[in-house]
Amino acid sequence: MNRRIANVNGWTIGAVLIITLLFVPNLSIVTGIFTPASENWGHIREFMLLNYIKSSLTLVFFTAIFTVAIGLSLAWLIAQYDFPLRNFMKWSLILPLSIPPFIGAYTYHGILNYTGIIQKTLRNHFDVSVNQAYFDIMNVPGAIFIYTIFLYPYVYMITRIFLSNQAASLVESARTLGKGPMEIFLKVIVPISRISVIGGVSLVILEVLNDYGVVKYFGIQTFSTAIFQTWFGLGDLDSSIKLAACLMGIVIFILVIEWILRGGKKYSFSSTKLRPLPLVKLTGKKAALATAYTLVIFTIAFLIPVLQLLDWVVLTFGKVPMEEVLTYTKNSIIVAGTAASLIIFFSLVIGNFSRITKHKFAKILPKLTVLGYSIPGAVIAVAVVTTFIAIDRYLAPVYLFLGLDSELVLSVSLVMLISAYIIRFFAIGYNSIESGYTKIGTDFRDASRMLGVSSLRTFFKIDIPMMKGAIISGFILTFVDILKEIPLTLILRPFNYDTLATKAFQYASDEKIMEASQASLLIVGVSAIAIFVFNKLLGEGRE
Amino acid sequence: MKKSIMLLLASLLLVLAACGNSTKQSSNAGENESQKKNEKSEVNLYTSRHYDVDNELYKKFEDKTGIKVNVIKGEADELIERIKREGTATKADLFLTADVGRLYRAKEQGLLQAVSSDILSKQIPEKFRDSDDMWVGLTKRARILVYNKDKVKPEELSTYEALTDDAWKGRVLVRSSESVYNQSLLASFIGIDGEEEAKEWAQGMVNNMARSPEGGDRDQAKAIAAGIGDVAIMNTYYLGQMLNSQEPEEVKVAEQLGIFFPNQDTTGTHVNISGAGVVKGSKNADNALKLLEFLTGEEAQFTFAEANYEYPVNQDVEPAELLKSWGEFKEQDIPLTVLGENNAKAIMIFNEVGWK
Amino acid sequence: MFIDIQNMSFSYSNSPANAVEDFTLTINKGEIISILGRSGSGKSTILRLIAGLEMPKGGSFSLGDKTLFNNHIFVQPEKRGIGMVFQDYALFPHMSVQDNVLFGLPKMSRSNKLKRVEEVLELVELEGYEKRYPHQLSGGQQQRVALARAIAPQPELILLDEPFSNLDTELLVKIREDLRRILKKANITAIFVTHNQNDAHVLADRIVKIKDGVIDQVGRPCDLLGSSTDEKGDIELLPEKELVSV
Repeated sequence: MNRRIANVNGWTIGAVLIITLLFVPNLSIVTGIFTPASENWGHIREFMLLNYIKSSLTLVFFTAIFTVAIGLSLAWLIAQYDFPLRNFMKWSLILPLSIPPFIGAYTYHGILNYTGIIQKTLRNHFDVSVNQAYFDIMNVPGAIFIYTIFLYPYVYMITRIFLSNQAASLVESARTLGKGPMEIFLKVIVPISRISVIGGVSLVILEVLNDYGVVKYFGIQTFSTAIFQTWFGLGDLDSSIKLAACLMGIVIFILVIEWILRGGKKYSFSSTKLRPLPLVKLTGKKAALATAYTLVIFTIAFLIPVLQLLDWVVLTFGKVPMEEVLTYTKNSIIVAGTAASLIIFFSLVIGNFSRITKHKFAKILPKLTVLGYSIPGAVIAVAVVTTFIAIDRYLAPVYLFLGLDSELVLSVSLVMLISAYIIRFFAIGYNSIESGYTKIGTDFRDASRMLGVSSLRTFFKIDIPMMKGAIISGFILTFVDILKEIPLTLILRPFNYDTLATKAFQYASDEKIMEASQASLLIVGVSAIAIFVFNKLLGEGRE
Repeated sequence: MKKSIMLLLASLLLVLAACGNSTKQSSNAGENESQKKNEKSEVNLYTSRHYDVDNELYKKFEDKTGIKVNVIKGEADELIERIKREGTATKADLFLTADVGRLYRAKEQGLLQAVSSDILSKQIPEKFRDSDDMWVGLTKRARILVYNKDKVKPEELSTYEALTDDAWKGRVLVRSSESVYNQSLLASFIGIDGEEEAKEWAQGMVNNMARSPEGGDRDQAKAIAAGIGDVAIMNTYYLGQMLNSQEPEEVKVAEQLGIFFPNQDTTGTHVNISGAGVVKGSKNADNALKLLEFLTGEEAQFTFAEANYEYPVNQDVEPAELLKSWGEFKEQDIPLTVLGENNAKAIMIFNEVGWK
Repeated sequence: MFIDIQNMSFSYSNSPANAVEDFTLTINKGEIISILGRSGSGKSTILRLIAGLEMPKGGSFSLGDKTLFNNHIFVQPEKRGIGMVFQDYALFPHMSVQDNVLFGLPKMSRSNKLKRVEEVLELVELEGYEKRYPHQLSGGQQQRVALARAIAPQPELILLDEPFSNLDTELLVKIREDLRRILKKANITAIFVTHNQNDAHVLADRIVKIKDGVIDQVGRPCDLLGSSTDEKGDIELLPEKELVSV
């Protein structure tokens, strides 16, 4: 018997506990599948579901294709070649991730619409009136454009790290076999990046499926529209949870497809000697072309929206209360930083458990945590509130004993908000950490233990330092995502608590995009600094 | 460190496992506490209004009364759900929202309590108070027509219903049915004309739309300037904001528009309200009432009107100069509760006729 | 008997067939054992079972007077006092040579630790390489660092998994002899796994031939392989890389 117990170690206990905690609030949504349909269900099915799913799938399909095309080609260019501005682009191309898509949508519409800078200039200075149809971004193609430019960095970031670390020998052997760059890209880069591309694009897909801000403003009816129409409009939360559960089903379906596409397994590299991909220097026309391509993407996805926001900040300067900006910024950084750190820590525990436990359920169990990312934030918020109120009720005697004069303590504190972030964004951090573990394999860990070093010390001395890259990129992704998060923050924050995102939303939801520019720009600024700083750390770690 | 974290997690898990049983116990404890609570001078607000001017008013209230105003902002229905789930333990004292339909919903779910005072009755006309005193209105907004002065003569306009005539084919602009303002507009028609006619109107509107609905109210106004359509439905206060925008082009657009209050000879222009109700489990109901009295008082009503271009509910307070310049108008004469009652029906009609 | 392995068997969770069956072997102190077999014969699994990196299905194993596993006991690898040199060395890339060797040393004063590092690096003839990082070393040097690292904590038994598979022929001959010299000098009991008969012949005191997870033959090199090394041994030297189990 002792032998079996020896196998159930601290990692297992920790991982199972964390997974359970992350999963429990989602349970109320899962059970939503089984609640009997309300009288509205027939209406929902007839008039909403089918059409809405169709447009959701259209958005998902094209966004996926475009983000892969842009993300993968950029990753390859940056990982393989040296050209003017490459080092700047290497991290700048992640920056569009810092712009919340709904702010991006408002901004681009702001640029393109009748009173926007382009039409205004044409009309007032050149007396040119344009065909409005060419400037209308508020439609399905427009939404695909918005999602693509602000979400491609998921694919880019994950794939680039993979290529720079893993592709060296393959690319080099292809070159010695006399293959040209295009052939290498299609025959080597594309197939070997498959896993990381799929990892990145599945994040993109989940973001698109759950987004409500962009589609609501653009007047596109998607699956998340149906969920909110049912809740807010029909006042039928049960049916909307049922819909969310359906969405969860779709997501699980996508995950299964991802798993099948990966061939049901993950590779770990046969050699423990990781060698970075050496850069090929481009010259002349080719270099100019590479620089131009990255520059165009960067300009469209980041520079233009930021300049427009900057313009609006100047325009509304003094009109927007300034005194508390520092507090909002501080709040944003603290909650996002705390939640992202916890996510990474938990991911490390669960990832290690999954890696060292041979049992099948250790590979499947962590996948459950992705569910939090598969449901619209507002629906999770309901689940989280319910859970925390239950916890508070249970702890009421403790509060009384401690002399607190309230029944609700946790559920009116930041603990609830941070927990909700962890439930929601766990998948993003975990994705990154999991690929980090896959990359280093188990040999180093085994070697360390054979030297008499305990599992825990090995974790801190060997695994964590070797996974620096994965940890940093996981942290950036979650940090930036939390920074721009809206629905959870809005509903789960404590009294009198504002963040940059809630401030931006406050104005944007009231069609005051200009007033929203200040907070939006600060979100971008904080994210950019985080990306820059961590990229520096990452770069030094590599050398 | 790992051990302590695991202990913490383990204890949390226990909590979750056992939470069902102790509900009753704790709510008893809560009642004892609520008596202690009254000594503290504060009032907790759950609001779906996101305007800067609201914050200014809360500050003024604090200065005046010494009662601290604590705020959570969110979407109305999310807040309703949160109050519902917090039950008797809720910290919310006052629920504030920008649509009467949501007030109705909160009332229907038993989340509000009746409050009344002489001051409230004096400051707010009966029409803008709930028949059971569960909520009161704070400000009004009218849903009006704006039109292209070059292409449309005001004489051609008359009612919301007339927009479904063939003459307006391909000329009408309106935002999506997800907007609560459109929902309450249609809900009012269901109340006045019945479901059949309301549906006919919605269908007629869809047939006459200049484009598939997109953007917000401001975008409809811009689309007129851009020549996409000739007449649009929008809320008064958005127009007020455009006329006072920092972007000169927006001001220009707004200035080109003609303003028309529809249905003046028939049922009246549609009006919705921002309003508030005291939460049932409130621990600071007295303070909440004080805040309500303050917000409907002359000073606050004047501020709402001036800063946000909303019509005051307090009849002693004049609307902002801009609103006055648009003239007085006849309002829909229906109990506002009708808007709440018919909200879900309105959504279904929108879906059925394909109003996106 | 210094090492006593009885009826050790093992199967992977995804297949019912035993990958190792009834492996029984006793070893004297200071003896060098070679486990010889083709790739896929289960020889590496045997090494991992002895190391404690895999959990056996049955059998027992004791080292000195300690039982490391039987039906009731399973000692975790870090508690076994067994050293191991991995096929591709698994030198920690973020640590210098010195830190790699220091990593496994038990609690003692810093100066004693450094002395020990000096000793073992001298043993493997790598004095002066303390500050280098693994990627700055040649394959042979890396192999010797891995060996030094494994020897440094003075394990009672050392396991070597295909220790020469990544080396070129010239280096191989020298290192093979060095290794035997080092092991004998330090009187370390060793088990090494190889698919190459020459390696086994030169290095081992005794050879265990494995076929399909079962012991085929056990004996002295000259009895099993004949007196002289034939060329076959080297021909069999195929680049064998295993997918690290996930």
